[in-house]
Amino acid sequence: MGPIEPRTMISPRLGYPNLGAGVGLRSVHFEHILATQPAVDWFEVISENYIDSQGRPRHVLRQIAERYRVVLHGVSLSIGSTDPLDRDYLRKLKALAAETNAAWVSDHLCWTGVLGKNTHDLLPVPFTEATLRHVVERIRIVQDILERPLVLENPSSYVTFAHSTMEEWEFVARMAEEADCGLLLDVNNVYVSSFNHDLEPEEFIRSLPHERIVQFHLAGHSDYGTHLIDTHDHPVIDQVWELYRLAHQLTGGVATLLEWDAKIPPFEVVHAEVLKAKRFTEPVEEAPRPKADLESGPWNELSFAGPLGEAPSPHPLHHIRPDVV
Amino acid sequence: MSRSDFEPLPEEPAFDVVQSWFQAVISHPDGVASGLSGPEAQRLIGLGRDELERIVRRSRRLSASERIGIYAHAYYARLLECLGECFPVLRRVLGADLFEPIAFEYLQRYPSQSYTLDRLGDRFAQFLEETRDSEAGAPPAWPEMLADLARFEHAIARVFDGPGLEGEPRFSAEDLQGLGAEGFAAAWLIPSPSLRLLTFRFPLNDLYTAARAAGEEDELDFPAPGVEHLALCRREFVVRRYPLSPFEFELLTGIVAGVPVGEALAGAAERAVVAEDLPKEIERSFAMWTAAGFFRAVEPSQGA
Repeated sequence: MGPIEPRTMISPRLGYPNLGAGVGLRSVHFEHILATQPAVDWFEVISENYIDSQGRPRHVLRQIAERYRVVLHGVSLSIGSTDPLDRDYLRKLKALAAETNAAWVSDHLCWTGVLGKNTHDLLPVPFTEATLRHVVERIRIVQDILERPLVLENPSSYVTFAHSTMEEWEFVARMAEEADCGLLLDVNNVYVSSFNHDLEPEEFIRSLPHERIVQFHLAGHSDYGTHLIDTHDHPVIDQVWELYRLAHQLTGGVATLLEWDAKIPPFEVVHAEVLKAKRFTEPVEEAPRPKADLESGPWNELSFAGPLGEAPSPHPLHHIRPDVV
Repeated sequence: MSRSDFEPLPEEPAFDVVQSWFQAVISHPDGVASGLSGPEAQRLIGLGRDELERIVRRSRRLSASERIGIYAHAYYARLLECLGECFPVLRRVLGADLFEPIAFEYLQRYPSQSYTLDRLGDRFAQFLEETRDSEAGAPPAWPEMLADLARFEHAIARVFDGPGLEGEPRFSAEDLQGLGAEGFAAAWLIPSPSLRLLTFRFPLNDLYTAARAAGEEDELDFPAPGVEHLALCRREFVVRRYPLSPFEFELLTGIVAGVPVGEALAGAAERAVVAEDLPKEIERSFAMWTAAGFFRAVEPSQGA
């Protein structure tokens, strides 16, 4: 199957800027970032870590948003759930996006729970016409509430459903066109899911509506032989970098973000990992550009800080340890 | 599309049914096999033994059961890890081998209903109270200490990320000056939104300090039962702990309840032993509490 043709001509990246190479903000790096103000193009923050915070996490985020471009990335929107949308959550999300001047707001094509429960996992949806109608309708509601296009990520998945009638890439492409939303292409997730479901990752990437891809995710995963798990605790593997090269060629380049959520190394190591992306992209102009020009910001140059040292103890993605004396 | 020896169900099951079924299977405490054959999953989608592939496909390398098992394993592993992060001292005191079965049972009784994992432990102390096996009237023992420790750690987390006074003009002792003794007694002190007053059945503050400083192999000395009062308050985004005498606790309880200072003092004197040099003790306490940020403002009485 070839790429889905857009119904109307739309701007690359849905009109959003290419922010350059960003890093996922994690609390273990708060002190380092505030103290050294590293030359990072942008930060992606987990919305749920800050959405209710009235303490230090929100205070730190405000300081970071004053200096850097910020994108909100959620894990609890549960766009695929058959439970009602949480409008209180959406109201808070909208307020947080306004407060941080977020470049965009993203979440995942998944559901996280039903019957009032939250599993805090990114659970898979069957790729059927009925699911597509359900998801598209909810994206439209969310976009109306947020008053901006939603950007949705393809999650890693470990099962497929027998009654699915299309592949994931077709579902994603039709969803984006019909709901008029953006896509966050997680290149590592394409690799992980394709391995787990005996699919071709290149076909996945080639089949998407590339002009709707607003952002890339890169991350490491764990190989268990029979399956891959999206653990975000390793550097990006070569095969994923090659897929990234392809995605970059097909899109013309979009904001790229590295996620590292367990066994988190020092900040310089995480930053250096995302800066490797430059090796897999077309040459860009060498002269540094001011931060205000976000259309095609250069990759920041920073030499690799060295081999992985003793990493701080990881903690769950959505929990920030209190400061107490 | 992956191939399978099994035909899908003749009619596409409704999406809400599939989701409820999937959630029932992956959150079953005894694993996927029990989840599949359990009454909840069977009520939703009645599958015979070995019919899972009519809903979930296998891959080249894994069976359908193994694949859905990845989600089942992740469900409890993720939430147990998070609960351990929410209650690090309780986990340290119990040890992982004891903490995890208790946390596992808690997750079954009180599964997460929030969009944030920060609220995962909201009912953990309540759960420990509900499930402690203590005789009525018996002196407090190990289960009571665990429940109090859970309440302590949960309060710290709520104070850390809740409202505070950072960014507001600092309330100082000078704001109390000029009221005079009568004016002070008639005034209302507005507490900081981060101020929490806690009473434990064991002296836990020192245990908390020791457990945080101890290495994994270090033994901890557990305290004998004894009432302890403690205040938590946040200043410059850091939660700080303040031991309180019974009199101080009663006095602050009155102030937080919204009674004038004089009335709070009288109430505390009725309910707790009064220090020999009460005026000096009161002056010292208020100076310390003011510096610690216990108060947001003072409201003089109408007649002051």
